[in-house]
Amino acid sequence: MTTADARAMQPPFPAERGVDAYNTKLGMWVFLASEVMFFTALIGAYIILRFGAPGEWARPGTVLNVPVTAFNTFLLICSSVSMVKAYASIADGNQKLLKFWFLVTIICGASFVGVQAYEYLHLIHRGFVPSGVRDGSELAELVANGTLPGASLGLYGSTFYTMTGFHGFHVTCGVISMIYLYLTKVLPGKYTQQNYGGVEVIGLYWHFVDLVWIILFTIVYLI
Amino acid sequence: MTTVAGTPGVGHTHHDDRPFIRKYIFSTDHKIIGIQFLFVSLFFLLVGGLLAMQIRWQLGFPNQPMPGGKLLPETMAPDGVILPEYYIQLVTMHGTFMVFFAIMPLLVGVYANFLIPLKLGAHDMAFPRINMASFWAALLAGLVMLSSLFVPEGAARAGWTMYAPLSARPDLSGAGLGQQLWCVAIILLGLSSILGSLNYITTVINMRAPGMTWFRMPLSIWALFITAILGLLALPVLSGAAIMLLFDQTIGTHFFDPAAGGQALLWQHLFWFFGHPEVYILILPAMGMVSDMIANGSRKPIFGYHSMVFAIIGIAFLGWIVWGHHMFVSGMNPTLGSTFMVTTMIIAVPSAIKTFNWLGTMWRGNLRFHVPMMHAVGFVAMFVIGGLSGIFMAATPVDMHIHDTYFIVAHIHYVLFGGSLFALFGAITFWYPKMFGRLMHEGWGKVHFWLTMLFYNLTFFPMHILGMAGHMRRIYDPTMYDFLKPYQPLNHFISISAFLLFAVQAIFALNFIISLFRGAKASMNPWQDNGLEWTLPNPAPHGNWAEVPRVYRGPYEYSHPDTTEDFLPQSQKLPGDPEPAAASAAGH
Amino acid sequence: MESVQHKHPPYLLIWLYLFLLTAAELGLAFELPISRNLKLLLLLGTALWKALLVAMFFMHLKFEKWNLRMLFIIPLPLAVILVLAVITEKIW
Repeated sequence: MTTADARAMQPPFPAERGVDAYNTKLGMWVFLASEVMFFTALIGAYIILRFGAPGEWARPGTVLNVPVTAFNTFLLICSSVSMVKAYASIADGNQKLLKFWFLVTIICGASFVGVQAYEYLHLIHRGFVPSGVRDGSELAELVANGTLPGASLGLYGSTFYTMTGFHGFHVTCGVISMIYLYLTKVLPGKYTQQNYGGVEVIGLYWHFVDLVWIILFTIVYLI
Repeated sequence: MTTVAGTPGVGHTHHDDRPFIRKYIFSTDHKIIGIQFLFVSLFFLLVGGLLAMQIRWQLGFPNQPMPGGKLLPETMAPDGVILPEYYIQLVTMHGTFMVFFAIMPLLVGVYANFLIPLKLGAHDMAFPRINMASFWAALLAGLVMLSSLFVPEGAARAGWTMYAPLSARPDLSGAGLGQQLWCVAIILLGLSSILGSLNYITTVINMRAPGMTWFRMPLSIWALFITAILGLLALPVLSGAAIMLLFDQTIGTHFFDPAAGGQALLWQHLFWFFGHPEVYILILPAMGMVSDMIANGSRKPIFGYHSMVFAIIGIAFLGWIVWGHHMFVSGMNPTLGSTFMVTTMIIAVPSAIKTFNWLGTMWRGNLRFHVPMMHAVGFVAMFVIGGLSGIFMAATPVDMHIHDTYFIVAHIHYVLFGGSLFALFGAITFWYPKMFGRLMHEGWGKVHFWLTMLFYNLTFFPMHILGMAGHMRRIYDPTMYDFLKPYQPLNHFISISAFLLFAVQAIFALNFIISLFRGAKASMNPWQDNGLEWTLPNPAPHGNWAEVPRVYRGPYEYSHPDTTEDFLPQSQKLPGDPEPAAASAAGH
Repeated sequence: MESVQHKHPPYLLIWLYLFLLTAAELGLAFELPISRNLKLLLLLGTALWKALLVAMFFMHLKFEKWNLRMLFIIPLPLAVILVLAVITEKIW
């Protein structure tokens, strides 16, 4: 298995062995450990609140748009594959494929954000907001005529927007970082077969964001 | 003083022609960042102290006009008499500033930054620019928090622990913008802390000089490393909770609002899941630095070095599963409560191991009571008292009576002031020459130590008595309760002691400032210490070493049989010492 | 400095795997007439399986040294402890 050549990425002075990962890679893994705890707080709060919720929780698909989000999930997974293909390309020394797959990743990632923004606007239009259900909206009527259980919708809105919102924020940061790297390092051919740590490191972040979404999609949209 | 043979690069500095703003303002040099944290944190320590003085005025002289109180707005203190609405802000913000903006950055922001590369033999941190970002984020957070004191409705006021639903409901607490600014400041501070932690962890793992194996690291570095892991994993939970609180206040979410199905206890669990590791963040670096200072002052190796390391790891590990002991009276599940009681009792053990090891280090040592040693020994004594009061609180049935009383306040201050702050006074004095090239005045340092020790104990020890009598925390006017009226003279006494304690700190402040310009110039190793940082000139140059040092032994080889001096630096090669394997393996 | 050509793991195969598992989840969530608790268990299991695939193969954890794997694994029990402990408030 190739990982970006460790010695190329090491600073040019001797050190004790540590873990066999160069500094930026180790730093990214350490950062991801903190991100696990951050999402634990948000997702954990959701699980805890849902367990203790007064009354029923709205059934999957009745408030949120599952088909569109399923497509969006597929899009994000594809972007994860294209990212790892980009990494494999430069590990094999192929600049052209690196540029191609990197761009595909950016496009898929940006599309994910776009679709999610669209979903948010649509939900808000229907009346689903962070505080629950907006008075006089389409969803408020469904609550009034008993189709939707109203007692826990306040919690539903709170947890949904916070979790998916922060995930979307992380995706956006990832896309912006990738655009920056694409323009400053990928296109000018600054990554080589001996030095592609940046691709590996942004890849780790991107896969992590995908991983969190895999969990979120299941527990927010499907349960 | 023996010349240090075989240590490459001593005294070499590469030519440093950075402009002033890159050298001292937007610096990526870990030493400058550490010093920046020092000045900013000492400022916030002063802010916290001023808030405390006002608290003590109200408690010692209830409902009387405070000297200087006319400066405060009419809404907070009409005619200089502190209002209850202002008092609760004082209490909240005193805790907030002291924990988040004074002690934490003093221990971690200053010493993790300053010491880690120096004591490990590295040129700088793994990510110098992220390090700089971490400082500026912390400063920004502090300024946001400071600004919350000056908004019209006033600052946050639900206690530094910010319990919901009081903190989530401006209509209940009266604090709107001030509360939101608190949340924003905490989120920013969390970010700063996480960025810092990832730097410290990466540097310690990957950038130790050849020969600096894990078990040759000084205990200060072990403590800072483990603290960084605690911070890395605990601060995000606080940030998440603060985000949820901010959303409850601003966009109408219901995380902590029982009326809409939210759970008030959710805040407490999230906060204390962060909060308990946080208190270990506030003590472990102090313990680590105290170990360094006691070994130096005893001229002996640390007793039980390995068990000290395992105790630090044990404390950090157990610290994750004791958080509920802050919530014994919250109405949480009693079975859960019992579990927390057991785990809390267990965590006393590694702390006790450390205490005995410090004593074992001093036993039959060639004791030098320089100012850092005095503070370090004072730390041990005061921390024991704080720790013992902790045992009382660990027992749930006892805690039922003393929770939220001044017994808790006494405990907090014994471990945070008697513990962390004493260690900091010692550490600031100890590493002052390495930071500034001069020594603080020894005589005034001793005067400051003894007076602080006296007034500090006079201030905080009686609080145990108040607490046992049922004097509650955060109360505005104890005389409203008949059963507390007999204790009012004690409150009065505590307040006077506190004012004197605060006044005495002027000695430290003046010593610190004046020594910057008029202090005795320090030799390279004024404390005759073994750490790698003492092989560099004072102050240490940019880039530290021209060539990375080689390490041949552990950090506490004092009174070694093979040397004439009573210390033996880690990088000094003796005739029989083998070269570290990593030096040739890396081969650059 | 030699650059070594190693075989890459089968990324496209993993992608197919993930696609199929996602489709299975959708089917599970909406079509299958099974008890709610079983559904919950299977959905969570599938989600974790997908997450594991991404971590092991895309993030290459399967091929890293154990000490790097530990770095990522350590926060996980903490997360579980927090959530489980607080859930006992409502379900004990």
